[in-house]
Amino acid sequence: MENKDIILSAKDVEIEFSLRGKKLKAIRKCSLDIYRGETLAIVGESGSGKSVFTKSFIGMLDSNGYITNGEIMCDGRDIAKFKTEKEWRTLRGKKISMVMQDPMTSLNPLKKIGVQIKEAIELHRGVKGAEAKDIAIEMLRKVGIPEPERRYNQYPHEFSGGMRQRVVIAIAVSCNPEILICDEPTTALDVTIQAQILDLIRKLKEELNMTVIYITHDLGVVANVADRVAVMYAGQIVEYGLAEEIFFDAWHPYTWALLSALPQLGEKGEELEAIEGTPPNLFVEIKGDAFAPRNKRALAIDFVKEPPFFDITETHKAKTWYLDPRCPKFERPSNIVNYREIIRRKVY
Amino acid sequence: MMEKEKLIEVKDVQISFGSGRKKFVAVDHVNFDIYKGETFSLVGESGSGKTTIGRAILRINPTSAGDILFKGQKINGKISKKLDREVIRKIQMIFQDPQASLNERAKVDYIISEGLYNFKLYKDNRDKTRKVQEALKGVGLLPEFASRFPHEFSGGQRQRIGIARALIMDPEFVVADEPISALDVSIRAQVLNLLNRLKAEKGLTYLFIAHDLSVVKYISDRIAVIYEGRIVELAETEELFAHPLHPYTKALLSAIPIPDPVYEKQKKLLVYDPSMHDYSVDQPAWIEIKEGHFVYGNKAEIEGYRKELE
Ligand SMILES: Nc1ncnc2c1ncn2[C@@H]1O[C@H](COP(=O)(O)OP(=O)(O)OP(=O)(O)O)[C@@H](O)[C@H]1O
Ligand SMILES: Nc1ncnc2c1ncn2[C@@H]1O[C@H](COP(=O)(O)OP(=O)(O)OP(=O)(O)O)[C@@H](O)[C@H]1O
Ligand code: SF4
Ligand SMILES: [Mg+2]
Ligand SMILES: [Mg+2]
Repeated sequence: MENKDIILSAKDVEIEFSLRGKKLKAIRKCSLDIYRGETLAIVGESGSGKSVFTKSFIGMLDSNGYITNGEIMCDGRDIAKFKTEKEWRTLRGKKISMVMQDPMTSLNPLKKIGVQIKEAIELHRGVKGAEAKDIAIEMLRKVGIPEPERRYNQYPHEFSGGMRQRVVIAIAVSCNPEILICDEPTTALDVTIQAQILDLIRKLKEELNMTVIYITHDLGVVANVADRVAVMYAGQIVEYGLAEEIFFDAWHPYTWALLSALPQLGEKGEELEAIEGTPPNLFVEIKGDAFAPRNKRALAIDFVKEPPFFDITETHKAKTWYLDPRCPKFERPSNIVNYREIIRRKVY
Repeated sequence: MMEKEKLIEVKDVQISFGSGRKKFVAVDHVNFDIYKGETFSLVGESGSGKTTIGRAILRINPTSAGDILFKGQKINGKISKKLDREVIRKIQMIFQDPQASLNERAKVDYIISEGLYNFKLYKDNRDKTRKVQEALKGVGLLPEFASRFPHEFSGGQRQRIGIARALIMDPEFVVADEPISALDVSIRAQVLNLLNRLKAEKGLTYLFIAHDLSVVKYISDRIAVIYEGRIVELAETEELFAHPLHPYTKALLSAIPIPDPVYEKQKKLLVYDPSMHDYSVDQPAWIEIKEGHFVYGNKAEIEGYRKELE
């Protein structure tokens, strides 16, 4: 494999929240390298820490959250050590920009949509007034808002959920960032607009050699955008690899569960394969493999000792004892082994 | 076939915002019935009016023309206090934007039990607590979460709080507006299974609004496709996926992302261009082209669709 340029490197990151005197450990020793120019998708259980982990890359953790361990290297600096807004401002926008999961919270309800985009442009592009307004209208058009001139003067509540979402995307990319983090950017969009946005992101990525971190629950979207995929469970990455490796050759039992629960694999009138049980309580120390209590095929060791990462290929790694040479022989679930064939049969 | 009972009837409904020169018609000439015990889905463009229609059924958005009936009774416009209360209790909505729809200052316990409290739907505090805990478990959340505040949850967890709040009321009809969009695949499966189970056990009826067509395909009995405030096609699920007629429906179906990275990176999209319709002389109408399969088009287009179906 060619030598890739690492644009951001998180190592052993731990993040805690304090909640009325108790500590909730949202991210547990999480490491991730991000390569310049790639699109990395992060998927995983709701509450597994995708938003929290990536928000820590731009200093947007909620005020009760702290990085308690590890480093995040970017441009030769450890941004995990940043303390002040002033330090973050040297990075936010031009270097890293983020489309947040809840569009309503990132928009000011009292300000016109257009003005909010214009302000971002003025702040980061060094243009002012009418020129910035023109760019703002152009951005609205780019994200597929019809009649952008009229819409420019409307307020967030006059936009539909999906339109608000697109405005947030317009704001984030108007800064021409090197790294764009998109947290569920298209969940509120219909599939045709979604396809348009994915295209837009792809184009911007090529034009600006942008690096994209894409968080989504839609594995179809992951298949569409991702060069690489990282799977998270209970505050950790448990498997990562090239997109094809994750879809067609998954090894972590949580990744299996994720793929098996797809409605595309379901039969109408029959129950979908949900994962039994609930995610672990993050207030208490987790022992062994966090997924073990919900894994019907867990090994004895899973309950005692946390597995390390094992290599499957040079690019594909999974944190599961199944890959240990000492693991007794077993078969992966048949819908995982035959995943590609089943999808082909059912949906094309 | 047995005559199906109509639970909701939407008749030529128009919904507009603002007035005078600023009047904006968001939804117009919308017609559909929802049968008792079915899952009826609305899919379509973002901004096409899906939420607006859902909110009109809940009486949150006023209609500017047409009628909406619930069990044969008109529920839009001015209605009696008694009927209003009945609607509030029996028709529940799972809101699209969980962040905006949850009271940030209230604990989850209060948020979920507020409706119960307003209608005194519990025997004593013990019973109320039990109901809240059941509701949380039903959507895959821990009972302990009851004492936390909404902002302390992830996006998907908040969405499930919204679902629990609607289902605890034991409604007859639920407008589920993007109820699964922020959920991971497994919780999504869990919630879909729950919705289906309630449908089977209690005969619950849904208006399901979602962008994820693979989910819509799995869960719906019938699907209506809406574009710019107008329904352009309506059919049973299998029929719609097998024989989409309207070009917008075709574009929509072609854009469904398939969870296969090799296929997905080389697929071709069909693009819909609304200017392809020439309605200047030959005017369009809402036509039942085949039993249960409706499409919006003019004579020439309908002719073409008929040929396609042969
Ligand atoms: N401000 C906060 N205070 C306390 N706990 C928090 C806070 N923000 C997040 N958490 C907790 O941290 C964990 C990770 O949350 P995060 O938002 O990163 O999840 P996620 O993977 O993005 O999930 P989703 O897919 O549902 O958006 C969750 O258990 C959540 O409850
Ligand atoms: N309160 C309001 N005031 C003015 N216009 C509104 C209001 N609510 C909705 N609209 C407009 O009505 C149209 C339909 O909006 P609606 O929210 O119903 O769309 P939707 O189909 O639910 O879209 P999405 O899939 O993006 O949620 C949009 O053009 C929107 O801008
Ligand atoms: S998106 Fe751009 S303008 Fe908005 S906060 Fe980030 S950097 Fe600043
Ligand atoms: Mg999140
Ligand atoms: Mg909506």
